Amino acid sequence: MMSRNTLMPPQCHAVARRLAFTLLLAAATIAGSAWTGQAVAAAAIGEPAPPFTAKTAGGETRSLADYAGKVVVLEWTNHDCPYVRKHYGSGNMQALQKDAAGDGVVWLTVISSAPGEQGYVQGEEAKRIAGDAGARPSEILLDPDGTVGRAYGAKTTPHMYVIGRDGRLVYMGGIDDRPTTDPDDIKGATNHVAAALADVAADRPVASPSTRPYGCSVKYRS
Amino acid sequence: MDESMRGAAGNGVTTWPARVLLLIATLLLVLGTAAWPARASERVSASLVADTATVTPGGSFWVALRLDIAEGWHTYWRNPGDSGEPTRIDWELPEGVVAGDIHWPAPEAIPYGPLVNFGYHGTAWHLVTVTVPEDWPEDRPLELRAAASWLVCKDICVPEGADLTLRLPAANVSMPQPASATVLAAARERLPAAFDGRATFAPQPAGAGGEAAGNQLVLTLAGLDPPDEVTAAYFFPDAWGAVDPVAPQRLTRSDGAVHLATVAGSEPPGETLAGVLVLEPERAPDDPGRRAVVLEATRDQAAAPAGTPGAPASAVTVGAAPGLFVALGLALLGGLILNVMPCVFPVLSIKAMGVLRHASDRRTLRLSGLSYTAGVLVFVGLVAAALIALKAAGQEVGWGFQLQSPAFVAVMALLVFTLGLSLSGVFSIGGSVMGWGSSFAGGGGDGGGGARGSFFTGALAALVATPCTAPFMGVALGFALTQPWPVALAVFLALGLGLALPYLALTFLPGTARLLPRPGPWMERVKQFLAFPLYVTAAWLVWVLSLQAGAGAVFAVLVAMVLAALAAWLLDLAQGLAGARRSVAGTACLAAGVAAVALAVWPRAGASPLPPTQAETDANRPAVDARLAAEPFSFARLDALRAEGAPVFINLTAAWCITCQVNERLALSSARVAEAFRERGIVYLKGDWTNRDPEISRLLDGFGRSGVPLYLFYPPGSDRPEILPQFLTESIVIDAVGSLPAVAGDTDRTKGSG
Repeated sequence: MMSRNTLMPPQCHAVARRLAFTLLLAAATIAGSAWTGQAVAAAAIGEPAPPFTAKTAGGETRSLADYAGKVVVLEWTNHDCPYVRKHYGSGNMQALQKDAAGDGVVWLTVISSAPGEQGYVQGEEAKRIAGDAGARPSEILLDPDGTVGRAYGAKTTPHMYVIGRDGRLVYMGGIDDRPTTDPDDIKGATNHVAAALADVAADRPVASPSTRPYGCSVKYRS
Repeated sequence: MDESMRGAAGNGVTTWPARVLLLIATLLLVLGTAAWPARASERVSASLVADTATVTPGGSFWVALRLDIAEGWHTYWRNPGDSGEPTRIDWELPEGVVAGDIHWPAPEAIPYGPLVNFGYHGTAWHLVTVTVPEDWPEDRPLELRAAASWLVCKDICVPEGADLTLRLPAANVSMPQPASATVLAAARERLPAAFDGRATFAPQPAGAGGEAAGNQLVLTLAGLDPPDEVTAAYFFPDAWGAVDPVAPQRLTRSDGAVHLATVAGSEPPGETLAGVLVLEPERAPDDPGRRAVVLEATRDQAAAPAGTPGAPASAVTVGAAPGLFVALGLALLGGLILNVMPCVFPVLSIKAMGVLRHASDRRTLRLSGLSYTAGVLVFVGLVAAALIALKAAGQEVGWGFQLQSPAFVAVMALLVFTLGLSLSGVFSIGGSVMGWGSSFAGGGGDGGGGARGSFFTGALAALVATPCTAPFMGVALGFALTQPWPVALAVFLALGLGLALPYLALTFLPGTARLLPRPGPWMERVKQFLAFPLYVTAAWLVWVLSLQAGAGAVFAVLVAMVLAALAAWLLDLAQGLAGARRSVAGTACLAAGVAAVALAVWPRAGASPLPPTQAETDANRPAVDARLAAEPFSFARLDALRAEGAPVFINLTAAWCITCQVNERLALSSARVAEAFRERGIVYLKGDWTNRDPEISRLLDGFGRSGVPLYLFYPPGSDRPEILPQFLTESIVIDAVGSLPAVAGDTDRTKGSG
């Protein structure tokens, strides 16, 4: 075999040498340059929205997968939270829901208050409160053990998420940029959810995909 | 006072009722009550307090919005944390009078369920400086009007507010208001001091496969120098989202600097990170031991903390660090042991057989030995430099870290497989490249080519040694990475020297060479046999890859291997041909070789690998899973378990760590060990370092290690875990936990929490 060594075709000889060199060099350098690891965040912009299954106020079971191919808004709520009251008392939230419904957007209102905590309601009461307020969500999801809330990292009421048609999260954060309880602040505020939905409808990337959520803390089971 | 005074102000100060009121007010001020609770709900009573009784033109003084908060309720800091809203003051001031921004006292971190807010309990002072213009009429009293608003929360939140007014008479000389001046001075005293040292922060990419969501962040303060007994600190960022309020913050020290490792929030900091650092945050806000500094850290691009950023302080007692010479000795010994590891042994054996060939030619032998040593040292030096540089850049890395990159694992699998093909005789790699042609097959007496070949063989031996962490090396390399770079480099080079030593001895001591058997045809058979350990290594690397990057990557690397085999066959074929045919075969060989390497590297260069979740990893290890239920390691889980007094056994492992796998198979998966754990209610936490995981790196750092395996046993209530040896047997594990009595009726503990 060695006697053939000298007869080795020059091209391949050179290639073999270069390959060996490359491999050795790669060993020392690749580790620094080829980190391809990615964090597995609970809910992250551009990533598939965390799947979930929950009971509706009407007692049915709904999964995120049921709405595949549609734009979905998730709204965390607690009807006694002053920040929620700001947006329902002024009709702001209902108007958003109505516009969304008109555009074929699925609107899921999620209640993650634990039993005994503020905002915890059962199905009938949840429907009554929504009805009294003139709210128009596609469904109200009851999440008393906080599973859905924790999967999304929902921190406040309200805390808003928008999921694109491809099932990826395109917006998470506050409803607008005025973190107060004063209904007068709604006028003149930039409504991030409306902006995100407009961007999605126009097939644009969402301009502000992540903003600061504001409001009361979600009343999870401690 | 406010309503009446507001009325008086409206009428001007010349009317006599106003003068009377003014007089009364002044009297009351002097008597020591600078403000009236303007509004008191059952949750908060608010008042304005000034440290002066009079105003002077051109003067300035302090005013505070004082909130007295009922038991169990809290208001918020300027960054409220996960939820809530900061307290606000909207001033309405006469022209020319200027009120500054609020000086915020250091807040508390207030947990609520899975969230953490930043705010205040008890009494909160919101301090503001007020400046009076030079041309302020000497007889004109100053009326400060403030619309204060705040959110006060317990389990529910209530937005509140108050219109507050404070009226100060004018005077030529400023008259202090003794009582309130004292309390305001005390409140000012408690404000976070400006930090005058150097503050930097270094963000780190997220760990793959770990539980740490978001980005790691290490804040370093040089010149803070807290007393030794300070073991905890909390950084409150000014900007929402800069730091995740829920993430633990871990304090470590190195000479002259403290490091705080935590996790960035959803809006990681840009070039600066401003906020308040509180030492001993668990103490009451008025405790003098709870020191706070306000700082603005700048992003650290180059300089590295000299110590071990991110090593947990509270959870971990740092193991005894070896001295430099001990570390050098251990590294040398570790390098020696590497020679008999399955990944290195074939390469070394081939070299050793080369010695037999050249036993007569002393000069060539020595040259070859030196070149081999140089090859090992250069490669180890390169890896050390890469490690030190990455560490300096704030990366959490350790020995074997290259194997956390799927691309590297794929290339290694391909390389080892190709080496195996060569040993099997499918083809002969150019002698001047790998050194076998000249030294083993006796490829002529050209010393230059032989030396170069030996150099590459040395580098190759060091490269294939990477996955085999020998015992003793963990301690030595862990020590190395906490040292200044010349020391670190010395320890690594000692390791390389250990690896090179057997061959070097063989070439320099003619006596040892004479001990070897006589060369003969048996050498060809041994060489062919030695291909099989390499194939096994390749198979194992493919398995590692399957855990790191999934089935697609495995398919890609298998196809790459087939292409490599094709290239090898074509190469051998071309050597027997001439002319145009030879060119065709050569070109095809080249194409197949390039395609193989490209295929091994390419699929993972862009796409993110599927980080193995613990479940996935365990699914691949049914033998372990069925016997001993493991929970994934996290500091949060460890702290929680230790807080509830549970004994904890920690196994830090990686799919690519052979020692770890052997230990798991032989010791940890035995039924007796599982039984011993169950009897004692020991919770088994497993940290999988197959992909990068900053939490595991931090835990390793805390014990002065830079690589896996590491086995720790925390008896209940003990701060110092027992560190088990790197080679485990069933009895070592059982002896370690044996001091703990069996818990009757608690046999489901590990299962229940798994």
